Amino acid sequence: MSAFLQATVYGLLQGGLLALVAVGFSLVWGVMNVVNLAHGSFVIMGAYLGWELQVHAGIDPLLGMFAAAAVMFVLGYAIQRWLINLVVNAPIFITLLLTFGLSLLIVQGMNIIFSANYRSISTGYASTSLSMGSVRVPLGRLIAFGIAVLVTVALVALVNRTRIGLAILATGMDRGAARLMGIPARHVYSLTFGLSAALAAIAGTMVGTVDTFSPAAAGSFTLLSFVIAVLGGLGNMYGALLGGLLIGLVESWAGLYLSGTWVNAMAFLVLVVVLVVRPSGLVGRAYYAARVEV
Amino acid sequence: MRSKATATATLAAATTAALLLAACGSKGSSGDSTESGTLTLGAAMSLTGALAREGALTKEGYQLCEKKVNATGGVDVGGDKLTLDIKFQDDTSEPDVAAQLVDQFNDDGVKLILSSYGSANTQSQAAVIERNGQVMADSAGADNEIFAQGYERTFAVLSPATEYAASMIKAIDELASPKPETIAFLSADDGFSKTGAKGGMDEAEKLGYEVIPVEYFPEGSTDVSSAITHVTSDHPDVVIGTVHLEEGVAIVKQSHELGLNPQAFGETVAPPTPDFAKTLGSLAEGVLGSSQWTETTKGEDKYFGTAKDYAADIEKEYGHPADYHDAEASAACLAMVLAVEDAGSTDADDVRDSLAALDTESFFGTIKFDETGQNIYKPMSVIQVQHGKVVTVWPKESAEASLVWPGTS
Repeated sequence: MSAFLQATVYGLLQGGLLALVAVGFSLVWGVMNVVNLAHGSFVIMGAYLGWELQVHAGIDPLLGMFAAAAVMFVLGYAIQRWLINLVVNAPIFITLLLTFGLSLLIVQGMNIIFSANYRSISTGYASTSLSMGSVRVPLGRLIAFGIAVLVTVALVALVNRTRIGLAILATGMDRGAARLMGIPARHVYSLTFGLSAALAAIAGTMVGTVDTFSPAAAGSFTLLSFVIAVLGGLGNMYGALLGGLLIGLVESWAGLYLSGTWVNAMAFLVLVVVLVVRPSGLVGRAYYAARVEV
Repeated sequence: MRSKATATATLAAATTAALLLAACGSKGSSGDSTESGTLTLGAAMSLTGALAREGALTKEGYQLCEKKVNATGGVDVGGDKLTLDIKFQDDTSEPDVAAQLVDQFNDDGVKLILSSYGSANTQSQAAVIERNGQVMADSAGADNEIFAQGYERTFAVLSPATEYAASMIKAIDELASPKPETIAFLSADDGFSKTGAKGGMDEAEKLGYEVIPVEYFPEGSTDVSSAITHVTSDHPDVVIGTVHLEEGVAIVKQSHELGLNPQAFGETVAPPTPDFAKTLGSLAEGVLGSSQWTETTKGEDKYFGTAKDYAADIEKEYGHPADYHDAEASAACLAMVLAVEDAGSTDADDVRDSLAALDTESFFGTIKFDETGQNIYKPMSVIQVQHGKVVTVWPKESAEASLVWPGTS
């Protein structure tokens, strides 16, 4: 029983970290219909920024992640404004190609600048644990989980309660109507992409704090984000959080009761089952399928 | 509107072209191995992708070999001195690409091949080598499965996968006091790691230890918590991980998080790599590892001198301490060069026969192959992280320091 409890707690915490990785990806896909295949490379860039700030300036990653997020916001804004906006009206295949190419470029760039060495942002607290009876709660992962929940709640508040958030939502639903209402769609798209890149940077800094990273990990973070976004459903900011938590739990339980080789298979099986029962994902909104794009 | 459409089309075309170029980037022309005055070897390397770190070290090892051999005037083939020229291609860490590149080398007339990094890549290359009548010196494919296929043209300079965990068990049995009683095995689910775990468990059972059944997790995973949760209740005295670097780091980190505190951790591949201690900091203290080579390995050869000379050359050339991945690559290149010299020919069949008969001492220890092409004559070393540094603790004759036991605090 205590092994089950331990696996459940660890799975939930790991799920929070996965949700943090996926939330920006889900935002861009849900609002702009852009499947950003460079998202994983943004996460790794965020991890390197957090690492550089810690190693060279002695800044704790919990502070460094804000600086990393700011840098990545500017980069994300620029990429959308002057690159992806050029093809945002084109079929989704073109944006897939573009972001895939971008990912290759960024990963290779990081290989050249940082080398392929594995790194980790070392802190005094990331590997310590709190004991709750027979269950251990790793502090670093607990912090990452807390940040994932905070980020999601903040994102929901931003989208639903601020003018810029409503503009993002409106542009996502009907770009033509939004432009007629005076919303600058290009700027809103760039803001959304910048926000997604900033969230990726926060996730990357936390990944670097509790795990190891190298440029080669970018692809797996993109795949993971894709699975979580589909599982959680698009159009609801809580989708990524729920999807991440479910994947974390399933992987943890599968690892406990089945041979390790089945862990990934079980995660994808859950995805298939959820999509069969609820094609729009756990909390996705069907009306997003009927978006109007002009 | 029109300019926007044009921009879109141009960008789409440019992206497609870039992707096509990237996909074809690994293709290129290579010289013929019989070009006058030059001995060309082909090497498909994992320069990008998941194995880029190890691939870069392997490339360093091959490059240093090229430099050292050419510094002496080149490869002596029947009295003629040939300049050694290694053609590198990027296999993107994908076994099928590694195999395709071997085919491409064959199309270009390059019959003598140095292997890529890792058992999966080497295994896919070995099948093509056999079919094409090429010859391969294997620097980093240790899985015994590669050599159970009846291949006759692939020769591995490194000790087989079964020795990785087994060598740590032997070291613990010989040096640890008080002796542990129970040993748990955690393994990635790739062929090399599974073979390594089996070799370790067989050795532990043979020596009378209680073995806790192995727990597997997906290769490349940084979440090994379930496997650790599983073995925690058994309170093992020793935890052995047959893993690669990222999984090895995760085992130590997550064991600490989850309260698994054995007398010692031992891991294959990961601890000898400088990144291991750098990444884990104080948590790396006392962790044991198995290594194909250390600076105290006995032996000497005409190109590299001793292991200490080799370590100094790597430090001078690349600015970091020598890693065993460097050394095994240089040793594979050395084996190929010595085989060509012994054969007095660059013909693939002659070089194959010469490799099969090779029996020499080197900075890497003994290089000699059994009938399957494995080097079972070279012992592995066991290292331990002590004060942030990797030191050899076993075998006794090449030990730099005594084993610190228990390894964990």
